[in-house]
Amino acid sequence: MTSRNADAQLDSSDVSGVAGALSTLLVKYPLHKNYYLRVFAQAILTIWAVLTVTFFLVRQMPGNPIDVLIEQILTQEGISYQEAYDRVASSFNFDPDASLFDQYLDYIGDLLRLDMGTSITSPGTRIIDEIARFLPWTLFAVGSGFLISFVLGIILGMSMAYYRDSALDHAMSLISSFFTGVPNYIWGLLIIIGPGISWNWFDVGAARGTYDPGLTPGLNAAFIGSAIEHALLPIITYVLATLGSWMLSMKSSTTGVLNDDYVNVAEARGLKDRRIITAYVGRNAMLPLFAQLSISIGFVLGSGVVIEEIFVYWGFGHYLFQAITVRDYTSVQGAVLILSSTFVFSNLFADLTYGLLDPRVRITGEK
Amino acid sequence: MFDQQREAVLRVEDLSIIYRTKRGDVKATSRVSFDLRPGEALALIGESGSGKTTISLALIRKLPKNAVVTSGNITYRRDDSVQDLLKLSNRQLRAFRWKDCAMVFQGAQNAFNPVLKIRRQFEDTAQSHGWTDKTAIRERALNLLELVRLDPERVYDSYPHELSGGMKQRTLLALGVLLNPQIVILDEPTTALDILTQRAIIDVLNDMQRQLHFSIIFISHDLSLAAEMADTVATVYAGEIVEIGPVNDIFYRSLHPYTYGLLTSVPTLEHMQDHLQSIPGSPPNLIDPPAGCKFHPRCAFATDACHKDSPPLALDIGTHPAACWHKDRLLESRKEPV
Repeated sequence: MTSRNADAQLDSSDVSGVAGALSTLLVKYPLHKNYYLRVFAQAILTIWAVLTVTFFLVRQMPGNPIDVLIEQILTQEGISYQEAYDRVASSFNFDPDASLFDQYLDYIGDLLRLDMGTSITSPGTRIIDEIARFLPWTLFAVGSGFLISFVLGIILGMSMAYYRDSALDHAMSLISSFFTGVPNYIWGLLIIIGPGISWNWFDVGAARGTYDPGLTPGLNAAFIGSAIEHALLPIITYVLATLGSWMLSMKSSTTGVLNDDYVNVAEARGLKDRRIITAYVGRNAMLPLFAQLSISIGFVLGSGVVIEEIFVYWGFGHYLFQAITVRDYTSVQGAVLILSSTFVFSNLFADLTYGLLDPRVRITGEK
Repeated sequence: MFDQQREAVLRVEDLSIIYRTKRGDVKATSRVSFDLRPGEALALIGESGSGKTTISLALIRKLPKNAVVTSGNITYRRDDSVQDLLKLSNRQLRAFRWKDCAMVFQGAQNAFNPVLKIRRQFEDTAQSHGWTDKTAIRERALNLLELVRLDPERVYDSYPHELSGGMKQRTLLALGVLLNPQIVILDEPTTALDILTQRAIIDVLNDMQRQLHFSIIFISHDLSLAAEMADTVATVYAGEIVEIGPVNDIFYRSLHPYTYGLLTSVPTLEHMQDHLQSIPGSPPNLIDPPAGCKFHPRCAFATDACHKDSPPLALDIGTHPAACWHKDRLLESRKEPV
């Protein structure tokens, strides 16, 4: 269709010449039919939509950092409004007078050049550097919490299924339902109030931050120990808040698999128990959990905003929270870009790798 | 044909099994005894729920958790060593399973782990029983897959979902004899397969048995399959063996009204639909089975004696043992032209 139109207008317009060439190319190399390219394009499109919504939403928030900064300069230095205005505009690489749409085009244009811009409230600070500074801490805390919770949940859930209807199963079902029912921020507060303040197991004040002041970041025991110590409370919170749902999911899927014929046959084949538990029961029971895994990675990263505020853990969530507080539009945009990309790409990654775990859904050629 | 004189590989004596349920004890198997000789093919025939599968599960000690063996013993012989199967330790049991006695379950559709290649599942089986050389496993597996008339290389490197139902069934048969077992139990080996595939499976089984010399116990309600495959047929009714004997005796000189009923409920080429009969009534409730002969409520020959006393599985009249008080009357009635 496109191709025929393009041919008809070939003489009259350059644009249709490009379109014609493009459609001829697509016929020759059907890239749009390639599954991987298509899901990748979908992912990019999703992120773009999130960024666009974020861009306009943050600017609808009450309060405007640029006016605040202009006012600061005006009162401190006593120069004319126009001078202050010019200085702010030049120092931000940003024109406050430009229409919202022009700002948006600039923003997207910069992004396409892989430039996330600079912070509004601390001029000159590149957002990419800020994110590189804060994100690793969160990845460390969320990642370890997540890993511990997933592995524990798998093991406990499987044992519940193996000993179902025993006292152990009933007790663990109760506990895991309770764990799932309490939201993560409540867990955070409970940890501070209970062991922290009431029982004095640790010094709440000293737990702030990501490592003890005075230490040099690097591969030395003191620093690593301190980093683990400071991350411990958020990690425990993430584990407590997510463990229950892993246990319950794993229990129900293991119970299903245990009734499957192939497990019965594997026992009749005289396979070693460990082989049956890992390769026959465990692997099949874990399949449905992998779909959940990618979704909850994004979810946990997002919930870090509140948890890190509670523990004053200077990670990515803390950074995003601060940026929102001072209406630092560009920083918020940068943080949301990271959040949504993590979410979208972890989902994409799960989709693409699921076939490695389950050969029945393996993508064979074009879909 | 198998050798009548050789010592039995498997001897089941007086085996009784109950299932404990909320509604009471289900007497799934009562006082079952039989011998299985080297190379013999024994068919257990009977209706669904008659206890055929319970007997076979007991042989590989894979009864459900609520099952209790209340009496009897099962002795297994390999060369000169004799084992009491009901007294095996877990370790001995694991070694016994598949290496000595393999069971091809009903519904091979889901018998394979969906996430592992067939190759991996053959290797798992062999390695669990002490094989280490993957090349040797592969060679043996490919030979067996060839024997069941599959494309060995292709099937060996496939995932289960890439095989059709009949292919899976045949692959499972090949896997069943991988460790050269003395006994292969086949539970409804051809159910759920189309008629041509059934034919192929039967031929394959006959071939395999001729070449590998294992004994077969197969469970079926398909009498034509029994007629074709079995040396010996045992009729199971309400958890008891009510008649057992050489296949020809059972089919042409049956002594138990139930066996006879089963035979006449199958259409044959000579006797078409007009003589087809079904057995009236339905199998008894095994929680509270009828007193005396359990078949008497459905039996045309039943008398007072049948209500009171359970007939023994005795060899008194006719060519083989049967548990009925009125074998003479059954034989009499069959002499009359139908």
